[in-house]
Amino acid sequence: MKSRPGNLALHNESLFNAVLSTLDIVMFECEEDSAEFRLQGLPPEWWRQWVGPANGTVLDLGQCSPFLRDYLVGAHPIWGGQLGAPEKSGPWTEPDRQGGTMTLEATALSIGSKKVLLIERLGSGFEEMGAIVQRARERMLAEERTAKSYRKTETRLISELEASERTKDDALALLQHLGLAALVLDERGHITFASDRGLEILGMTAEAVIGQEWEQALPLHKQDRAPIRELIDTASDPRKTCVVCIEGPRPRWVEIEVRGDPRHPDRHIVILHDRTELHTLRRALNEQASFHDLVGKSPAMLRTYQLVRDVAQVDSTVLIEGETGTGKELIARAIHSCSGRKHKPFIAANCAGLTDSILTSQLFGHKRGAFTGAVNDQQGLFEAAEGGTLFLDEIGDIPQQVQTALLRVLQEKEITRLGEAKPRKIDVRIVAATHHNLSEDVVRGSFRADLLYRIRIARVQLSPLRERREDIPLLAQSLLGQICTATGKTIERLNPDTLRLLMSHAWPGNVRELKSAIEFAVISCKTKEVLPIDLPPEIISAPVVPSSSVWIPLPNRDEKSRFLAALSDAKGNRTEAARRLGVSRATFYRRLVELDIDPR
Amino acid sequence: MMQKKVCMLGGFAVGKTSLVRRFVSNVFSDHYHTTIGVTVEKKSVTVDDRDVMLVLWDLYGEDEFQRVRDSYLRGSSGYILVMDGTRRATLDTALALQQTALRTVGAVPFISIINKADVRSEWEIDERAIEQLRERGWTVLFGSAKHGQGVEELFVTLATQIVHAAPIPRDCL
Repeated sequence: MKSRPGNLALHNESLFNAVLSTLDIVMFECEEDSAEFRLQGLPPEWWRQWVGPANGTVLDLGQCSPFLRDYLVGAHPIWGGQLGAPEKSGPWTEPDRQGGTMTLEATALSIGSKKVLLIERLGSGFEEMGAIVQRARERMLAEERTAKSYRKTETRLISELEASERTKDDALALLQHLGLAALVLDERGHITFASDRGLEILGMTAEAVIGQEWEQALPLHKQDRAPIRELIDTASDPRKTCVVCIEGPRPRWVEIEVRGDPRHPDRHIVILHDRTELHTLRRALNEQASFHDLVGKSPAMLRTYQLVRDVAQVDSTVLIEGETGTGKELIARAIHSCSGRKHKPFIAANCAGLTDSILTSQLFGHKRGAFTGAVNDQQGLFEAAEGGTLFLDEIGDIPQQVQTALLRVLQEKEITRLGEAKPRKIDVRIVAATHHNLSEDVVRGSFRADLLYRIRIARVQLSPLRERREDIPLLAQSLLGQICTATGKTIERLNPDTLRLLMSHAWPGNVRELKSAIEFAVISCKTKEVLPIDLPPEIISAPVVPSSSVWIPLPNRDEKSRFLAALSDAKGNRTEAARRLGVSRATFYRRLVELDIDPR
Repeated sequence: MMQKKVCMLGGFAVGKTSLVRRFVSNVFSDHYHTTIGVTVEKKSVTVDDRDVMLVLWDLYGEDEFQRVRDSYLRGSSGYILVMDGTRRATLDTALALQQTALRTVGAVPFISIINKADVRSEWEIDERAIEQLRERGWTVLFGSAKHGQGVEELFVTLATQIVHAAPIPRDCL
């Protein structure tokens, strides 16, 4: 193909062709009259490869590339006389005549009034640009795949988390439904979970507990922490438990069980069993038979226990009346222990047999030099009992002068040490006791009436032992246990005959005498059982006192057998049989009917 | 023979070139090769016993690197919107390109195809989204350039619509 130099052709045709060859482009000029695009200069080799050898110097739009045709029929402002940069078609790729493909780009430009079309074959620059775009897109696709994989993983994890949360919620719901009180401790002993019931028992909120170390968070007595610590250390043995007191406005007794967390060996599950009700019931049951150091479950003693609880709630002066040996000091101690003064001193003073001056000095204290032998300032028992309770035993025996001083103390709540002029304020509760009938003493003039009224605001009257014989077996067994512990002897029980003798004795010395008799018997006893022969002689030989009508079952024997044996021994004499059993005739007859025994 | 310009539109790597190559040459390559500019291919189909030469303008995929030139779309008798079922974002690109095409060439026939039906289990475009496209009046086909599924149907259906095309009011789209 030989082109015809047009108007735009350089005068130096060889130079013009060299420029076209160097730029590797084909150049057309649009003829004004025919609007045909005519080839200018020599086209490069690829042009013939693309359009075919038969193609002439005029661009045939009917035969040429669809892309180029579209481009040429499109509007190009620069050919319309508008100023601006050359307009590029953008790259396009089409098959060539030899079965391959070729990527080209057309440019419309205007030179003077001439419309010029350049067609460029895109080469290495285009391929480099393509490679960059290829890499960028591959990277984007890879990142999309990664992000998608993350999203999938996230979705799976969220799903698993939700399932786990659901399982946890179900387990929690079950836990709450069952009312199980539980805490979970991590490996450092910090509480990581507390069930609602657990918080209720502890009387605490989740905020106050979660994340806290258990020893600091739980309101426990100091001595209760050690057994829990031991349980945690030996959590592999779930049978071990301990009962502790959870402190607070309403203390709770809680049985603690510690188990290893099956998922994490270093973590622990603490299960709390509220035993408060059980504890209360057990204490009430125990108090049926004993109260502080008092023993007995007779109606008289039960009334006494209740009275002690009642008077302990007020701060009034109390007068305890009872025969010697009935346990007046024990009652005074019980009142103190049940009162709000229990953490303050309890001072006991026996007022019997002391002179005015000694008793006054003892009670109120003295100043150095107040009397011969007063070498130092000395506080009295009132001051020693400050904030607590002063027990004045045998108050009926105190001299008149001391009675007057005592009255002043009770009225003014202040004492004056011997040798001093300035009184001292005191806060002491007075519990007094006497075996006297103070009313009679008042009549006789040996006790001041106004003092009696001051000290007898509350009264506790103790029954003599002979009036509560049903307490004797319990007392005797309790005393036997105490004495055996003190002496180191092992005596298990009292023989029924021994007990019968004890119950039939008059006990003028009351519990003190009973204790003395048991001590004597323990010393004498050579077997595991206290026999009648072990008792003091005055008890063995004492006349039998008629028993009360209260039936006291004797331990270790079948009751029906004992009744039958007693009847047999008494040769059918029911009065004698009742005596032998230590019960009244009325009780004997009632029991015969209840035990379905025909006395004939 | 009647010649009809058809543009292949869609996001990058949705399978436009693969669909054209499957249709024109019945070949497929797993290797991704990005298109720069336009690749023009031709293939004739028969519609109502008439041969129609489809001039397929396989445009580069639209993304932040390359925006589709309006000039490429001019003169199109119809277009195909291609989406990748495994990439939800390609649906949004298709929606945007459809608006561009509508502005540039008017209400000419078009068909959408969700490619990569061979990995349906991995699709992010769900039934609800497809239903919404159909509610917009789109013809939505499923296909796989890899397996050839739906490819012939895609081009023949569009060719038929182009041949039979009566102008569609813009506000129906």
